[in-house]
Amino acid sequence: MPLLLAALALVCLGLLMVYSATSIPGVHQGLWARQLAWAGIAFAVAWVVAGIHYRAYDALAWPLYIVSIGLLVLVLVKGSSAMGAKRWLDLGPLHFQPSELAKVATVILLARRFDQEKLDLRRFWPWFSALLIVLVPFALVAKEPDLGTSLTFPVILIAMYFWAGMPVGQLLLGLSPVFNAALFFITGGLWWSAGLVAVLLGAARQRLTTLIMVLLLNIGVGYALPHVWNQMHDYQKRRIETFLNPGEDPYRAGYQIIQSRIAIGSGGLKGMGYLKGTQKGLAFLPMRHTDFIFSVVGEEWGLLGTVTVVVLYALLVLRGLRLALVARSGFASLLAAGVVSALFYHIMVNILMTIGWAPVTGLPLPLISYGGTALVANGIQIGLLQNVAIRRMEL
Amino acid sequence: MLPSKTLRELRRQRHRLLVALTLAGFGLTVVGLLRLQVAEGQKYAKLAKGNRVRPEILRAPRGTIYDRNGELLVDSAPSFGIVFRPFPAESARRALETMSPVWLARVGALVELDSAEVRRRVNFANLTGQSAMLRHDAPFAVLARVEESRSELPGIEVQVEPLRHYPHGTLAAHLLGYAREISSSELDTLRDAGYVSGDLIGRTGVERSYENFLRGRDGVEYVVVNARGRRVSTLRESGARTPVPGLDLVLTLDLKVQRALEEVMADVRRGAAVVLDPRDGGILAMVSRPAYDPSEFSHGLTRARWKELSEGGANPLLDRSIQGVYPPGSTFKVVTMSAALARGVVRPGTRLAPCTGGLNYGGRRFGCWEHRGHGSLDLIEALQHSCDVYFYQVGLRLGLAGLEQPAKALGLGARTGVDLPQEARGLIPNAAYYDRHWGAGLWRSGLLLNLAIGQGELLLTPLQLALVTAEVASNGRPLRPHVVQRVRGAREFRPARPVQLGLPADPAIWQPVQEAMERAVAAGTGAAARVPGVRVGGKTGTAQNPHGEDHALFVCYAPVDSPRVAVAIVVENAGHGGSVCAPRAGEMMRRLFLPDSLQRRSARPALSDSARPAAPDSGVVDGD
Repeated sequence: MPLLLAALALVCLGLLMVYSATSIPGVHQGLWARQLAWAGIAFAVAWVVAGIHYRAYDALAWPLYIVSIGLLVLVLVKGSSAMGAKRWLDLGPLHFQPSELAKVATVILLARRFDQEKLDLRRFWPWFSALLIVLVPFALVAKEPDLGTSLTFPVILIAMYFWAGMPVGQLLLGLSPVFNAALFFITGGLWWSAGLVAVLLGAARQRLTTLIMVLLLNIGVGYALPHVWNQMHDYQKRRIETFLNPGEDPYRAGYQIIQSRIAIGSGGLKGMGYLKGTQKGLAFLPMRHTDFIFSVVGEEWGLLGTVTVVVLYALLVLRGLRLALVARSGFASLLAAGVVSALFYHIMVNILMTIGWAPVTGLPLPLISYGGTALVANGIQIGLLQNVAIRRMEL
Repeated sequence: MLPSKTLRELRRQRHRLLVALTLAGFGLTVVGLLRLQVAEGQKYAKLAKGNRVRPEILRAPRGTIYDRNGELLVDSAPSFGIVFRPFPAESARRALETMSPVWLARVGALVELDSAEVRRRVNFANLTGQSAMLRHDAPFAVLARVEESRSELPGIEVQVEPLRHYPHGTLAAHLLGYAREISSSELDTLRDAGYVSGDLIGRTGVERSYENFLRGRDGVEYVVVNARGRRVSTLRESGARTPVPGLDLVLTLDLKVQRALEEVMADVRRGAAVVLDPRDGGILAMVSRPAYDPSEFSHGLTRARWKELSEGGANPLLDRSIQGVYPPGSTFKVVTMSAALARGVVRPGTRLAPCTGGLNYGGRRFGCWEHRGHGSLDLIEALQHSCDVYFYQVGLRLGLAGLEQPAKALGLGARTGVDLPQEARGLIPNAAYYDRHWGAGLWRSGLLLNLAIGQGELLLTPLQLALVTAEVASNGRPLRPHVVQRVRGAREFRPARPVQLGLPADPAIWQPVQEAMERAVAAGTGAAARVPGVRVGGKTGTAQNPHGEDHALFVCYAPVDSPRVAVAIVVENAGHGGSVCAPRAGEMMRRLFLPDSLQRRSARPALSDSARPAAPDSGVVDGD
């Protein structure tokens, strides 16, 4: 119940905010009515998803996954593009973003794979097959290109490895190339990276072959990184650069962040009052009803509003984690963990972006941002969590 | 199934860890919000009061372009533009004024744009907070009117900006190209490459192909302004970026050669000329007629003038030297001869059936331009006198593929890869081409005869003509025509390698061709290109043109013993290459190779009256 209440409260807050953000004359005026309709649909979807026993999802995991991969391929071939990226499928009046479905399908399939009596993630095939399952949608979404969304997949994978019982040492070792790359990026020195790898290798107490493989993987990443960087779209590089050095790309991302910070900051403790925000007023805040809706919360309702939203999200996530712990079956437990990790990633990345602490990735704020597919996808996620909640007392 | 007992125990631990992680994550956001909304809330409230922060773009000056000797060709000069600066939010009422039809109409009249366009740009400015450029390089009278009507036209201001400056006017206009303000549709696709509204972007010529070197990178600063739009301070935390100027280019172009070529081409209505350095493929000069003045674009063209330039019958924007394709006429005999020698189907001394003024083949008579006939000739004499009958027979010996492959090896029928945009391919037809056009088996080998003398479907650009000439001059070495020699500040920049394979550097191939070309100028069809004391090799051409008067062509190179220039000249609808183009090439080379005192004797009158034979003393009145 707390889960559902928190979600409903966030959707209602979102509707109010979308109304406010689109209340001024301009192209987006009146979008709140459509958002209201979408909220209704999302609620119905959540209801249906929660109603069907999760055993059905378990059984359908592979077909669901394959269909969603097919749709991701389709979007690359026939999708409509916006800002140089193909992310949408046009279905008459509807836009459909297959990556949203892929996230859920991947979680379900991983939950099925990891739900085994004698699962030993230290063995090669169990962890490697999961990696492959995640790699396919990750690569397809990254190709669209949608960097922010594609990163959801590795986040899900790591969370579910962890929840399925992978030893921490192994997890860190597997992630070491990522740390390594980040460290190299930040310090620019090879010694730090070498040191990190040495410490991890020493601490992990793995078999020699594994250690050598990890070492090779690290070296491989070192070689691949510059090439990957060259392969990236200009705007992707720009976003990463903007994040690492806010002085870069000042025209768009930089400007958005500054405007967003001004909006949130100027809200102060109590905010300017509902519908009284001035930043959104003259359309100084681009994407104010979608990716930057949190800035409108900050401007109009101040710290009170933002902290309320953060607390509601925290409730949602903590409740989801609790469900993962008390779920009746291994599948349900893993399902909850996967869904929560995706939600948590989106929430953190979006909010930290609006306050300028994370790159501008184009990820919407779950349950609040304007956008039909995203809202329905959130509905599915909440429905799945609720599904686990309803059946936690089952025998 | 139910998780095992140990896993449940493990999860209980890990759950605690995850809860801690979640709390830490949300805690972090709360810390960020506290900082932003409480600790710095006052500061931001002040900024937001009028949304007084405005990104001000510091435009990077575009790179300068020099010729090979460091002579200035293109640079940037300061000018005054008219911009719209969006308002702080507190003056919302005034911002709405900018949307009123009266304001739009007045501003539109001032900057000579229609009010829909003004509205579009102003809207965009309000949306992004950036200034909108309304008019480049406004004349002083308009600037004065802007200053006068400041109070009635809120938001309209004067701004200094770099303007592209082409000091030599129409000189090498097509090669240099022009840069123009980026259009809104281009902005949609190029915004991620760092372009912003008001930036210049190269459209044609070097300005376009070297856009990424020339443009540099715009800088930005975030300016805090007061309610009247006046700058108060600059925002520090946002990290301003200083502009990075574009890189300067050093061309292979030689202003001296270019000037000479421009002058000899001055009276040409339609045509093109190219001078290559046969040692490295560098373009020394390039002219296309009719020409235009690229500065016109910097100052902003009126719609009517743009229409005139882009749609006018003569199409001045077309760079005929690389985009114009012409049947090469007899100049192609140079290629046929090289192919024949490379394939070994004739030798320099081979005498074929004597020319009686024509050749019967396949039930048709193929005529020679010399109706009286040339009699018995060897290969060298055949090129010297441009005998069609001899080359018909060479063509038959070569076959279609035997002609096509060496021509392609010399770089014909494909883009030369010159570093200029939108180069034409030209056409060297092969069997597949004829099958496609006429149907398999429906064409006869008689067309081979036409190809051998440069008529028929063959198409070459003037640049390709010059390229072939340069390759002959340098013994078949493949060359990559290029116009940029160096990029200052980009040491790794190198001109690209040739795309074509070239032909073997065997003197047995090239010496006869060179000798024949030299004889064609010394005592043959190209006599008008003679330069006292300098050995010149050349070949005239006249291309039949089904749409009107024949095109005149001439290719040559000099000095023969150590070639320094390879020239191709095409004049559309002008008649014979020997009388129209060769004198121009001769005049240009005399200017380059002779001291001033000797130039006087040059055939200046012949230029003004191109129909008159240029060198009556030679005894040869234009070949073919």
